[in-house]
Amino acid sequence: MDYKLIANSWAIWLAVIPVALLEIYQAYIFAKKTKAAGPLVGLSAEEANKAFKVGMRSAIGPSLGVFAVMLGLMAVIGAPLAWQRLSIIGAAPTELAAATMAAKAQGLELSSPDYGAINFANACWVMALNGNAWLLTSGLLADKLDKISKKVMGHNKKTLGIFTVAATCGAFGYMCINQVIIGLAPAKNEVLASTICSFVLMVVLERVAKKHPRLGEWTLGIAMAAGMAMAVIFKHLVMGA
Amino acid sequence: MADTSVTTATTTDAAADEAFAEAYTKPIIRYGRATNLLAVLFCFIPAVVVWLVFGYLPQIGDILTGWGLIASIYLVFAFIEPISYYPIVGLSGVYMVCLSGNIGNVRIPCALMTQQVLKTEPGTRKAELVSTLGIAGSIITNLALTTLAALAGAFIMSILPPIIIEALSYVSPAIFGAMFGMQAAKNLKYACFAALLGFLAMGVFNIATYVTVPLMVFGTVAFAMLVDNRKSKEEGPKEEAA
Repeated sequence: MDYKLIANSWAIWLAVIPVALLEIYQAYIFAKKTKAAGPLVGLSAEEANKAFKVGMRSAIGPSLGVFAVMLGLMAVIGAPLAWQRLSIIGAAPTELAAATMAAKAQGLELSSPDYGAINFANACWVMALNGNAWLLTSGLLADKLDKISKKVMGHNKKTLGIFTVAATCGAFGYMCINQVIIGLAPAKNEVLASTICSFVLMVVLERVAKKHPRLGEWTLGIAMAAGMAMAVIFKHLVMGA
Repeated sequence: MADTSVTTATTTDAAADEAFAEAYTKPIIRYGRATNLLAVLFCFIPAVVVWLVFGYLPQIGDILTGWGLIASIYLVFAFIEPISYYPIVGLSGVYMVCLSGNIGNVRIPCALMTQQVLKTEPGTRKAELVSTLGIAGSIITNLALTTLAALAGAFIMSILPPIIIEALSYVSPAIFGAMFGMQAAKNLKYACFAALLGFLAMGVFNIATYVTVPLMVFGTVAFAMLVDNRKSKEEGPKEEAA
């Protein structure tokens, strides 16, 4: 039996849906608790609804990247499992790597013509085991993190603010400089051009958005679109690919 | 639902803390832990269906070898990421991002955009609530797009011009350049330090990724605390209004 028939079967669709429902349930409960606690910290119902909508809209650009990886992953492990793995837990590259390693453990590549049902079965197990590590660490340790941080930081508003801003800078500093270093390789210069373009445009847009607040939630989308366009333009015009 | 009417402007900080813990922190921990741990079991359903319904069970050695190969790269991130992202998204955010995935490339950017548009102060409870709602919104969009890909992906790819498909492969540099630009616009000093640290760690010393991420997050925090301490000392004990 061709494994694709299994991988795209209704049985697998039914098997992947429970965890997505659980994710929606969690988002629903958390949103409800957030709205209930809102008045305690000066968050109005209006602001709460706005926050949810901004989250929805600002996810469009970033989710396009997930969309693109999903099309590739679907071709190998079928639509339902790719849908589950990219809707929950893993990041797109992580899941692709997990499927590759599952195949490697059985001595073949993902693109091999011999890839069959038993390899698909291994991908199911390996992806679940890998992703579950995040569920276990967060499920068991998140409340301890909260306690430790409150003990260390206390409730000093100013310190907490500096802590958050600096941590964010460090996290995205890592991801951005990582792209810059990839882009320094001569064959990958378009990645460098794209990173610099998005970076500079975002700095400019942030300044402009201070005067025109309505621009605020679109800055990320505009800067991303320009960065992606720059990569393609640079590759074709400057690098002559 | 917790009764919030008792909280008035006259209550002390301790009473406000208690009210917030009852209405928010405690239920979040209860539900967050239950949903994330239940998801561990749910994630095995496809593998079990392939085994019991279709009769394919890989050798246990193959499963463990595959898991070992991937865990050797990613397992440490399951510890590093919740710790590194906790300061940004708070308690509820950690549960949500670990269940919904795509942490650095979708959840955190959306949480930050939401905080920015709602103009909340970083590190406050209001900021945590707002980013929780932003992440919840991003989960809906993400789910809609993956569902669209599952149902009509092949068709969409066939009608998109090749140049657009090519552009989509550059989402990572575009999003991370933009997000770091957003941080640099807010605090140039921290961003310069983070960039310098990044170049040293990745470009010069080639340090392993699982060390680089926490090094950069907490290194930048240490730098910020140092700068802030010096600034407070120079300005003397008077409270600044920044």
